[in-house]
Amino acid sequence: MHLVFLYIDPGAGSLVIQAIIAGLVSIPFFFRNAIRRTFGRFQSKPTDGASAATGSSAPEDKGAASTDSE
Amino acid sequence: MTDRPAAEREPGSYRDPSGFVFRRDGVLYRQINASFADDWATFDVSGLHSALVKEGVLVADAPASLDLAPEPGALAVIQPDAIEFITHPFEWSFSQLKDAALLTLRAQAMAGARGMTLRDASAYNVQFKGGKPILIDTLSFERAAPDQPWKPYRQFCENFLAPLALMAHRDGRLGQLLRTWVDGVPLDLASELLPGRTRYLSPGLAAHIHLHARGQRQHSGDSGPNPAAAQRSVTMSENRRLALLDHLKRTVEGLHLPAHGTVWADYADQTSYSAAGTASKEAIVKRMAEAVAADGGKVAWDVGANTGRYSAIAADAGFWVLALDIDWAAVERHYLALKASGEQRIMPFLADIAEPSPGIGWGNVERASLIDRSNADVVIGLALVHHLAIGRNVPLPMISSLMARLSPHLILEWIPKTDPMVQKLLAAREDIFTDYTPEGFKAAFSRDFEILEEAPIEDSGRVLFRMRRRS
Repeated sequence: MHLVFLYIDPGAGSLVIQAIIAGLVSIPFFFRNAIRRTFGRFQSKPTDGASAATGSSAPEDKGAASTDSE
Repeated sequence: MTDRPAAEREPGSYRDPSGFVFRRDGVLYRQINASFADDWATFDVSGLHSALVKEGVLVADAPASLDLAPEPGALAVIQPDAIEFITHPFEWSFSQLKDAALLTLRAQAMAGARGMTLRDASAYNVQFKGGKPILIDTLSFERAAPDQPWKPYRQFCENFLAPLALMAHRDGRLGQLLRTWVDGVPLDLASELLPGRTRYLSPGLAAHIHLHARGQRQHSGDSGPNPAAAQRSVTMSENRRLALLDHLKRTVEGLHLPAHGTVWADYADQTSYSAAGTASKEAIVKRMAEAVAADGGKVAWDVGANTGRYSAIAADAGFWVLALDIDWAAVERHYLALKASGEQRIMPFLADIAEPSPGIGWGNVERASLIDRSNADVVIGLALVHHLAIGRNVPLPMISSLMARLSPHLILEWIPKTDPMVQKLLAAREDIFTDYTPEGFKAAFSRDFEILEEAPIEDSGRVLFRMRRRS
């Protein structure tokens, strides 16, 4: 192993790449939420706590008391 | 100073300046430092603390006297609910690690909805209590700054996503990489080990493992003369952060083990017992477990539990059972069956009693060895001794002395050389095991234990022994 590896902080790259990946995945995320908003009243509410946690955490739900209380 | 019992800091609790975990008189406490006051206050006022506890996401805690704080700068002391037994992430099967990952994301979602965020996402912050994963680090939450990236992203990928992806797409045994890399599997290594198809066919792994690893390489050097400033300049809208977390969750949920068992996981279905033999063995194990329970036993270690047929009998006899097995597929099947039935008294995990988990991390004590975590009142070893004595060449007296270190009571099955399963072990090797006889077995164990009961299993040459350690 080169000594230089000991001084490389993969954390810096993680932050940059996180922003890029978040940008990419926010596009389908936006459309999914738009569809859910439009057709949401036809769907039953999620019953699994885990899926409810992020499934309903779209921005418009922020702070809603029901976000994670099943 | 007062005559209060001395405080002993937990060896794994040294990284976080906002507080630490310690014991007094065996009781676990957590000191919260004044430097963390604002975040701690928000944690309560926002309702996050109570919501997490109510939902079973975070271990409950009770306020304790500030006088207990062992170090200056304390703001508060809390007493978290005890976890019966600490297991390490490399001792979990695929679904245990996956459930721990989803729990972490759920905690983040609950925090995000209340203006807070997780500060870290170490798999060691999760333990299993009553059959379910639960966060144990009450100090993991801080106020979320606007437009900031998700700080624990890299840690989440290294602690959860990388090992899960390797287990799902390469081999179930690769969870063991977490034993070497206590802080998580390096992403460049995970990227190299994962099959090439995951670069193209799995958008989640392509992004969070492969692209992530490449980004780490490329961007770690180009942050200029002031890397800290460069990092601060990375911003992310809340919407994007939610999208990232949602994508991580979908990626984790999309990971599944290939549907094939291993030798061991199928073993329970193909033992050498007849129906009468099985019924006889179950009845004897039940009777012996009840006898140990009547003697005050609370915790049983079922060593070589396979998919847990006899762990269930021990649980019904009143024990809280740790079900150890060497085979990840058996642990996986056992965990999934317990999860489906809602069983809370049995904790399956991956362990090899012939090569137990060592103490790892700082000073070899940060994460305790299996033997140091021993809390058994009884070790149940069914169809175990021949694997150790013949399969692993461990002399019988050494097996006895290890068992004596582990537990005061023992329920052990003796399987004679003539048994077809022992013959299988001997088929491909020279029989050098001249001491492997009923007399040799009894002589070896009599040095450490008193044999209280000896019960032949019907329709087989096997015998069950109940023993008590000599004092």
